Amino acid sequence: MSTRLVIDAARCTGHGRCYAMAPDLLSDDEEGFVAQRGSDEVDVPAGLLGQADEAEQACPERAVRVLRSSAPSAGRSRPS
Amino acid sequence: MRESVGRCPVSHTDYRLATPPAGHYAFLDREREESRFLWNDGADTGFWMLTRYDDVLQGFQNPETFTNDITSALNPQRGIDLLPQRLGGEEHAKLRRVINPYFSPTAVRRMERFAVDRCAELVEELAPRGACDFVARFALRYPTDVFLVSLGLPPSDGEFFVPWVEDVFGGFFGGAQNKARAASDRIMDYFADLVAERRARPLDPREDLVSRLVEARIDEEPMPDRDILTVCMTLLLAGLDTTRSALGYMFWHLARHDEDRRALIADPGLIPAAVEEFIRLYPLVIQAGREVSRQVDIDGLTMEAGDVVWLGIGSANRDPRKFPDPDRFVLGRKGVNQHLGFGAGRHRCLGMHLARVELAIVLREWHARIPDYRIAPDADLVERGGQLTLTSLPLEWDL
Repeated sequence: MSTRLVIDAARCTGHGRCYAMAPDLLSDDEEGFVAQRGSDEVDVPAGLLGQADEAEQACPERAVRVLRSSAPSAGRSRPS
Repeated sequence: MRESVGRCPVSHTDYRLATPPAGHYAFLDREREESRFLWNDGADTGFWMLTRYDDVLQGFQNPETFTNDITSALNPQRGIDLLPQRLGGEEHAKLRRVINPYFSPTAVRRMERFAVDRCAELVEELAPRGACDFVARFALRYPTDVFLVSLGLPPSDGEFFVPWVEDVFGGFFGGAQNKARAASDRIMDYFADLVAERRARPLDPREDLVSRLVEARIDEEPMPDRDILTVCMTLLLAGLDTTRSALGYMFWHLARHDEDRRALIADPGLIPAAVEEFIRLYPLVIQAGREVSRQVDIDGLTMEAGDVVWLGIGSANRDPRKFPDPDRFVLGRKGVNQHLGFGAGRHRCLGMHLARVELAIVLREWHARIPDYRIAPDADLVERGGQLTLTSLPLEWDL
């Protein structure tokens, strides 16, 4: 079981709520957008699952998704 | 008079008119529960109203269909140029990329020291008086001074700048037009001096917005002075009245809800969540207007190219389908950050991060000095229509 955060670059418009809610997983870039968007998936350690869920619930654009998968985290498989 | 257009009920509400406090939210709540879509004929131009959260969000997220050729359903002619608001597509994106870095959460932190000091100074001036009109004495003065400093201008210019801003907003929201035009001309002259000064002696463009606008190249072309001045004026129009108004509603609420005020005093760590909940519950910008670019159908509502659409921020933020118990102030409300008080999509509010910082500072600094206060018993409170504000808020406290 692995958990990842994925941010849809096309939907992200820089509200900055995700990295405010999940400062140990995400950070901002120069324009105030979340730096880890697009193809950068973020592995979520077990201790930070709460932050990941908060980030997902905080995004007005619905750009943040928490993917829970039984596949190894190296694989980009869809959540089961 | 038509009571329905197709299957769509008609709203005759003129949202530009003044009401008692929270009067507009009562209209919005009623109409949202009456229908998902309405046709409004209460203003000069009729428009479609989208009243529920999911539809409003969709509207914001589809700028090709719902374009920024119009930005207010109540004032589709606009009458005043706004940049980058009036741009769409790549043009808009290019200008936002120039400006965004000055309004990122990291960038606005450089304003924090000044904002805290200035806020403390203003509150300390007021505290010994035991009473004040919060709106006139504090709520516009503070964000105006922060605005001046954010453009690298001396905050002491607030002495003459604040009255100009008052006159401009007076006219912008239906007051004396002559005074407004005169004030707006003075502000434009003042900005023109600023731009000339930065052209002659640029500051570090990584820190100074006007220096950056002066040296910026968009498609290899420098920005015309007129556009730079329009950006400055837009920042003023978009940033000062909204912050003043948000402060008015926050203090109107806190003066009447001791338990919420005491919770914030007991644990200032709750303040950022409180700011979000205040903006959800009391959005000042109750709508964004958009122009329909092509025939579009949403679940049986057909809109034609050229139609005006009201994206109902005020009704979406209080939609019980999205926010349970929506008219209650809930500290730590789950999912509060998904409110649309700052809009959404590519045109989401540029100043949202600065606004959050400014508002949080006031909640901390004011309550550290004046923890208990009440609305003066003879106060006659009025909510301006259009873009909401409380025109005055007389507070009093024991000395």
